[in-house]
Amino acid sequence: MRPVTTLLLLGILSITGLIPAYAEGKASVELEFKPRTPDQMSAFYEARGFPDAMIKPLHAQCFITVRVTNTGQEVVWLDLARWTFTVNGAPLQRYHRNYWLEKWKTMGMPAASRSTFRWTLLPEQLDYQPGESEGGNIILPRVKDPIHLHAEFATGKDRKGPTIKLDFDNLRCVSNIP
Amino acid sequence: MHRSLTLLLALLFTLPAWADTDNIKPPTGVRVYAIGPAPDFELEDMDGNRDSLSSGRGQWVFLHFWASWCGPCRKEMPAIQRMATLMEDEPLKILLVNTAEDEDTIFSFLGGVAPDMTTLMDRDGSVTEVWKPRGLPATYLVDPYGQVRYQALGGRPWDQPEYLGFLKALAHSSDDAAKPLVDGTGRDLETGKPATLGNRTTGK
Repeated sequence: MRPVTTLLLLGILSITGLIPAYAEGKASVELEFKPRTPDQMSAFYEARGFPDAMIKPLHAQCFITVRVTNTGQEVVWLDLARWTFTVNGAPLQRYHRNYWLEKWKTMGMPAASRSTFRWTLLPEQLDYQPGESEGGNIILPRVKDPIHLHAEFATGKDRKGPTIKLDFDNLRCVSNIP
Repeated sequence: MHRSLTLLLALLFTLPAWADTDNIKPPTGVRVYAIGPAPDFELEDMDGNRDSLSSGRGQWVFLHFWASWCGPCRKEMPAIQRMATLMEDEPLKILLVNTAEDEDTIFSFLGGVAPDMTTLMDRDGSVTEVWKPRGLPATYLVDPYGQVRYQALGGRPWDQPEYLGFLKALAHSSDDAAKPLVDGTGRDLETGKPATLGNRTTGK
């Protein structure tokens, strides 16, 4: 089986939670994706006292909760700048956390809500120690078609280990259940 | 001969007091994180009592950031409560800091999972923003001199022997060992004079 096909299959199986995403030598990482409906996210933020002015623009976006787990013995480096989302071959720009934090600040939203919001996002950069697992949401513009993700991770204490490259097909934004 | 034996015995008895934290092996998921001085803060708890990180100076501080919406926090908090009970007589200050939630949320959460615990309330998240934990829950261990020394990755079973043993070892190292006492030439760092067994067993 060709390497690209193998990675694709691993990615798809990983999305379904069937197997770890990838393993190479002593460095390996597992990704788990959980798309959230707009109503799920609105309910989450409403329950934490977020103002409507924050919830409304979030309701229109595509939320995917991602959990990253270092399943190997080397340090793995998350850097969302090295994640590329595409739809039908065209780039899909992920919202950087600073976009939202600036927006909330400009709108004069409460500091507590801004702080909580920050904690619900996947960090832009993080070193994952062996065995460590951290997660959070990524926010994308809502699209109907399947999303492809290409993600790269540096490895090793000095980031000079082999790069882990992962491809995930068929990520989807989910709609509210009628 | 007799004098040498006495010195040797004295050394053996004082060794535990000299034990450096470098010799204390952190348990799984706790890593050395020596980033320097811990940013101080003062916050109110649920009863309106104020407490600060620096009030724990002179002993180790177990500093824990949490929120009710964080799944692992729900699992970890009962273990922290059991650890707190088991460490009640140990010189360890336990500080919980809730991140940006209201009193009702905190009260109902703690009432359900750890009714004996109280927490400081970082109402606007500003203290959490300064500390910038890598995720929630997040635990730091701050030494008696106010230096951050360890960081726990995610939720940990703090009531288990491996973790309790580690915390107890740290707590008892606070008698002397967090601060270097004698330089490489055997001179006392405070007085500059040659150190002797008699004046360097406790280091304070």
